[in-house]
Amino acid sequence: MMTRPQTDFTAAEAAMTDTAEPILDLRTLSKTFGEVQALNGVDLKVQPGEFVTVVGPSGCGKSTLFNIVSGLEEPDSGSVLRFEGRSVMARDLLGKVSFMPQRDLLLAWRNVIDNAILPLEIEGANRAEARREAERMLPEFGLAGFAKQYPHELSGGMRQRVALMRTFMFKRDLMLLDEPFGALDALTRSMMQRWLLDVWQKHRRTVLFITHDVDEAIFLGDRVLVMTARPGAIKLERKVDLPRPRGADLVTSPEFIALKRDLLDAIEEESMKTFGPNPH
Amino acid sequence: MTAVPAPAGSFPAARRFGAVLPLLRGVLALAAVLAAVELIVIALGIRPYVLPRPSAVFEAILRTPAAYRDAIIRTGLETLYGFAAGALFGIGIGIAFSRLRFLRETVFPIFIVSQTIPVIAFGALVVMWFGNTILAKSVIVFYLTFFPVTVNTLLGMRAVDQKQVQLLKSFGASEGEILRKLRFPTALPHIFVALRIASALGLAGAVVGEWFGDTTGLGVLLLQGMYAENMVAIWASVFCSALLGVALFSAIGFAERRIVFWGGSDA
Repeated sequence: MMTRPQTDFTAAEAAMTDTAEPILDLRTLSKTFGEVQALNGVDLKVQPGEFVTVVGPSGCGKSTLFNIVSGLEEPDSGSVLRFEGRSVMARDLLGKVSFMPQRDLLLAWRNVIDNAILPLEIEGANRAEARREAERMLPEFGLAGFAKQYPHELSGGMRQRVALMRTFMFKRDLMLLDEPFGALDALTRSMMQRWLLDVWQKHRRTVLFITHDVDEAIFLGDRVLVMTARPGAIKLERKVDLPRPRGADLVTSPEFIALKRDLLDAIEEESMKTFGPNPH
Repeated sequence: MTAVPAPAGSFPAARRFGAVLPLLRGVLALAAVLAAVELIVIALGIRPYVLPRPSAVFEAILRTPAAYRDAIIRTGLETLYGFAAGALFGIGIGIAFSRLRFLRETVFPIFIVSQTIPVIAFGALVVMWFGNTILAKSVIVFYLTFFPVTVNTLLGMRAVDQKQVQLLKSFGASEGEILRKLRFPTALPHIFVALRIASALGLAGAVVGEWFGDTTGLGVLLLQGMYAENMVAIWASVFCSALLGVALFSAIGFAERRIVFWGGSDA
């Protein structure tokens, strides 16, 4: 096992050097579905303990990237996929990476606790023990007292927290979060972002986070990656040198706004390729 | 957000009342309709040969309650045995079809052909094979019930959200675990729809099955009433059949509310 960086400074610094062993290392990763090329040569390294956010125009292949890293799809041949220092097939990553899709996908017939322990159950853990552990984690996820509630009795924000708790209970070094707050209203979303940072800082996991919201990407990430329009590749990479813990007022600071302008320009350029009239 | 200790299943008193209320309403509505029929028959002077008074029908039942009770029990058991076997077989084979393409493509067409044979034609055969036994009628009930259950189980197993399948796969779940933890629960609401249809079909099958020869049962009473041109006896048998049908249907509805408590659609 590799040692995890203890502070954000080392995590961010490690990201900038090639000497540290990345937990995830993608090189010339491509994926083609029939005639459509979804990804074209993605190069991406993620260091242990790092929080990396990925933004890009719609349909840029972000979700395809996640499906590969979570083991659900194999990349085209010629792609290099390395995890914890070893070259792997995508399917080797099934059960190795904790993946949270866009929708909460809670099972309607399971209450909050039993939804949260689903991955532990599949791992073969003792169910009673898993339930006790989940019970202890409820307050941290703002779900105290809701253990026995069923998904249809919960609000969208709470369901999303159950899904996040499920993701956290599946203790894997790398977490993939695919627009987890996309469906929430702005207020709930910003509360969830700050809360996620709290939880992340406590649990020290590596996070790869997809979003189409630039504010969210900067607010959360140690590093922001901008993807090109389809076929997706990494267009731009920016380190976010903002202090942690990050508060709500951060979004109005000059550094934040300068960074946001750069990123928005890059995204705008890519969006134009997909939707806009031909600029030339 | 304080603790809300209100999991589904609490408030037993409220729940029981909620279950009794529609039943009570149903009984009241039925009583009102019967009373109306009674008044119309008397007011218009309709002859008993065309439509007997409901009160006369009840009198007939109360005159020989044992006969009707035995008939309900006999036909009820025939239906229950055949229905249980058909439901279990239908669910099992539906799951097998959803997993094994080869089986689905070879056996399913045979099932469909089997369902084009009218139950009447089939019934004669079954009575020849099994004689005037409960088993013979249960086989007919089975023949009528397994098919809708099979079809809906297969449908339900396929109605699963592919994203949920992927999520479970990403947790490292095997196909068997996905079947148990995801596909089968997803199929349950569809299965219950089929069970409700099958219960009505099955009862009809049991009654018709008795026409091929038996000594007790609601079908027998109907036939006897018909031969004797006894309208009151026929209506009494019809009423008892309805009672049995409603009881079966409600029992399945009750089980459905208990088991598929989340309401079926992805809430």
